[in-house]
Amino acid sequence: MTRFVESSITFPYKRSLGPVIGAFMTALTDQRILGIRSGDRVLVPPLEWDPQTGAELPADAMVEVGPNGTVESWTWVPVPSEQHPLDCPFAFAMIRLDGASTPLLHAVDAGSPAALAVGTRVAPRWRGVRQGRIDDIIAFVAGEVSEVEGVDAGPKSEPVLMMDYNASITYRNPVPLVLDRVREASREERILGQRCPVCARVYAGGRGYCPIDAVELGVEHDVDLPHTGTITNFTIIQPVQYPGQTETEPFARVFVLLDGTDVILPYQPVIELPVGDVCVGKRVAAAWAPPGDDVDEGGTMGGAYGHLIGWMPSGEPNIDDPDLVNRIF
Amino acid sequence: MVHANGPAANGPSMSTDIAVVGWAQSPMIRRTDLSETQLLLRVITDALEPLGLTRTDIDFTCLGSCDYITGQAFSFVSNLDAIGAWPPKRDSHVEMDGAWALYEAWLRLQEGDIEIAVVTGSGRSSTGDPALIYPMEMDPFYLAPLGVDPLTFAALQARALIAAGITDERAMAEVAQRSRRDAVANPNAQVKGDFDVETLLGTDYVREPLRRHDLPPITDGAAAMVLATGDRARQLRDRPAYITGFDHRTECHNPVYRDLTDSPSTRIAAAAAHIGTGPLEVAELQAAFTHEEILLRRALELGDDVAVNRSGGALASNPIMATGLARIGYAANHIFDGGNRALAHSTSGPCLQQNLICILEGTP
Amino acid sequence: MSSGSEPAAIVGVGQTHHKSRRQDVSFGGLVREAVFRALDDAQMTLADIDAVVIGKAPDIFEGVMKPELYLSDALGAVGKPMFRVHTAGSVGGTTAIVAASHVQARKHERVLAVAFEKQSEGNAQFALGSGKGASLGAGGAFAPFIRAYIQRSGAPEHIGWKVAVKDRQNALKNPYAHLRIADISIEKVKESPMLWDPLRYLESCPSSDGACAVVLTNEEGGKAAAADGRTPAWILGTSSRSEPPSFPGRDPVRPAACVQAAWDVYGQVGITNPREQIDVAELYVPFSWHEAIWLEGHDIAAVGDGWKMIDADETALTGSFPVNPSGGVLSSNPIGASGLLRFAEAANQVRGAAGEHQVEGANVALAMAYGANSQYFSTWVVANSLQPFG
Repeated sequence: MTRFVESSITFPYKRSLGPVIGAFMTALTDQRILGIRSGDRVLVPPLEWDPQTGAELPADAMVEVGPNGTVESWTWVPVPSEQHPLDCPFAFAMIRLDGASTPLLHAVDAGSPAALAVGTRVAPRWRGVRQGRIDDIIAFVAGEVSEVEGVDAGPKSEPVLMMDYNASITYRNPVPLVLDRVREASREERILGQRCPVCARVYAGGRGYCPIDAVELGVEHDVDLPHTGTITNFTIIQPVQYPGQTETEPFARVFVLLDGTDVILPYQPVIELPVGDVCVGKRVAAAWAPPGDDVDEGGTMGGAYGHLIGWMPSGEPNIDDPDLVNRIF
Repeated sequence: MVHANGPAANGPSMSTDIAVVGWAQSPMIRRTDLSETQLLLRVITDALEPLGLTRTDIDFTCLGSCDYITGQAFSFVSNLDAIGAWPPKRDSHVEMDGAWALYEAWLRLQEGDIEIAVVTGSGRSSTGDPALIYPMEMDPFYLAPLGVDPLTFAALQARALIAAGITDERAMAEVAQRSRRDAVANPNAQVKGDFDVETLLGTDYVREPLRRHDLPPITDGAAAMVLATGDRARQLRDRPAYITGFDHRTECHNPVYRDLTDSPSTRIAAAAAHIGTGPLEVAELQAAFTHEEILLRRALELGDDVAVNRSGGALASNPIMATGLARIGYAANHIFDGGNRALAHSTSGPCLQQNLICILEGTP
Repeated sequence: MSSGSEPAAIVGVGQTHHKSRRQDVSFGGLVREAVFRALDDAQMTLADIDAVVIGKAPDIFEGVMKPELYLSDALGAVGKPMFRVHTAGSVGGTTAIVAASHVQARKHERVLAVAFEKQSEGNAQFALGSGKGASLGAGGAFAPFIRAYIQRSGAPEHIGWKVAVKDRQNALKNPYAHLRIADISIEKVKESPMLWDPLRYLESCPSSDGACAVVLTNEEGGKAAAADGRTPAWILGTSSRSEPPSFPGRDPVRPAACVQAAWDVYGQVGITNPREQIDVAELYVPFSWHEAIWLEGHDIAAVGDGWKMIDADETALTGSFPVNPSGGVLSSNPIGASGLLRFAEAANQVRGAAGEHQVEGANVALAMAYGANSQYFSTWVVANSLQPFG
């Protein structure tokens, strides 16, 4: 039975707006909506270029429109997503703002679909505190009267140049059966590999296929791999900070050639081996998580090696072989 | 550089015949327990084996897939393992449906120095929630922050078509009914069966005016296609499906600036692919929503004599990033089976923003 | 370029000023900045373009999925083909090659190739690790390759420092370059922090916002530009090769895909002695040691001897075989555009349009880009005539 694992990736972005979108967003903080002239049309929302020809549209061609408008088309959203501007059922509508030649797509908080029709007049409901984002307008509401939700903090004193965008997506991925076998074996402190029946190359890490012969490898191709090896190459990484970074101190990643095989385990963590002592030729032995530990699926090793959490010095003397360093894969 | 003054250099067009000689698809299912690489491993083998080819025969590969569907940057890199790229291969990757991977291979084969290409499209849509992923392909300033998804835009386009008198909800339900009925004969169709139009019309809206039956299923899957040139194509298959016209065009992105009752990019692509040079027998359209089939039929001026989406189309199975390539595959099947001329269509973006037309024929 | 193909020429090149943050422009505006420079250079407008090919690295960098959709109208592509390429770090090079293919196959006459990255919108380290902790970064992935090169070639450690200094000095002659370190010196490089042992901070590429655009035409367009006194860069050979991520014995220091792509191109062009027949090269060098690695990977230097060319200053702007006169990836690295910048800078060299960093007498130029774990290679050779070797 295939297992599935979930991982949520939250992507934080900071977008620069440029002259036209920036002016539009800045005006939103002042409860004003801008379009841009292209020929005899007024495009809303405004772009830096004409959407048909790509011709440059200068920021000084921007004009105020709305803020009220007319619903030209709409669709009802009975079950909003977490990304939608409202958490109650609402409409996404094409709203032709007064003075505009093109409709703005936005939410209408109408209560029920029966309250909406083509031609319905709407006005914006503004956030009290406005950042200079399209969702400074929470939604449009029926009628001709704009609203402000909560206390009106007024316009931004400085032009809005940037916009935050955060999207969180959860992915649910199957765990290949071979990966589960590798993890299961690791609980018994075994390192499982697979031997290709065509070329006899052995692969570690639960890949499940041979990339040379492009054949799948099943349980019948599983082989046990030795627990000792030699560091062939390494790097010491000075961690830089980024959202989601877990490291603060320099850390090593080593390449381990397993004894008596042609198998390299790449980019492995080390245990009880200070970064200053990491060198090519260092003899190492597998380090295992304590029995019963629940090894994090998305941890340092990406779950690929299960209870094998890294490599520690075996105490044997270093091996001096100038060809070792070339074994990266 | 010795070729510039060669006889072919001044010719009006290349004379290389390029044909689809085979293709395969994975089982089209709601959720696979295989990785994308495993799907591709199997489907490439399945495409090659009946032709008596192996991976060493492949001169060029182009893969189509999407990081955001996989949830990982550079997700296509591990898919190299599926093509047997050792010794190294001439290879490329597009962040587009496999139909566009086919387009790149078609261009490349016209240079005449290589004979066989394999292209793929692959995606596992089951891993994420489309409602949360697809807003990320929308205008990042005006649409994505509102969580606007393709379903919303599809509903607005359907409403525009209804308002213009081009279709109605019943006609849309009939498209759903016909597609799922035709899909019964297709072992790779995921949603199939006999549905009653009245019953369908009695169900609730998902996004008015769209009901559940107007929408495609969520499908995991992959497709692989083998192309060959000239004599090699004829050696590999009695009746290769020659690509006699191939083009794709785009429109402006945000649907608010477009006339949603038309698909001008489809019309331009079809003309550039020489749609009018002869009668069509079948058309496979990547219409993920029922009204899109109606709009595309109009844009392509397909008569009632053209059998549309006999496979069940994207309404029967919709492996995103492979849906378009599969359309070309089904159209090729028609030629393999003795047909003379077929059209396949692929699309990307909200409200059919970008459209591709491929014409396949039994003679070059 | 193979027999029977339409000859393709570069008649316009444009790029943005590259910076760590181009907060003055939206990402659409950034791309257009490069496009209009290329169109001006080609004496064309958007309306003259038949098809657009766009490349960039992972969409996760900017958080816009399939951004070619959003950028269609920004690039004047409405009613035209818009094609999106993604082959990891080599993507800019592959974009140029696919654009050339549109012309060589006689499908289109005037094609715009565009590549960009606006890395400041997201975080590359974050994206490379797909949002997880302990991301190696590109430097962490490549450092072991460099350790292997150093040990097997016996190169002294100052070779990496010399490349770091040379490329930054070249960048001072390139008005578009991101890093402009006027007082760059060997001391400064060797005293900079060790980020990914054995790679130091100043031996590493920056993270940039930037874009590059190239206008390609058919033979008639190239000849018309030439007749008008605007030398085109003729694309005489192109190649792409990929190899799998890892298997026992794979050599990322002299990747087979690199060597094969090089000789595929040399075969098309008629190059038998690259060191003698090529006048200048723009090689994808994100970490200083890759200059030596790629000199050998393209058989410009014998295996083990690449570093000796660097030590003898032969790859300097005034040397016998200048490499990265633009300042290279070490000076500007908008990832998706970095490959196209190499291809475009090579074109500008043979067009005599490289300005202050022009290499005198550059008739034949090589450009390459690579991606992922040294797996994806794209290569081309351009020249200022269709038959540079008579």
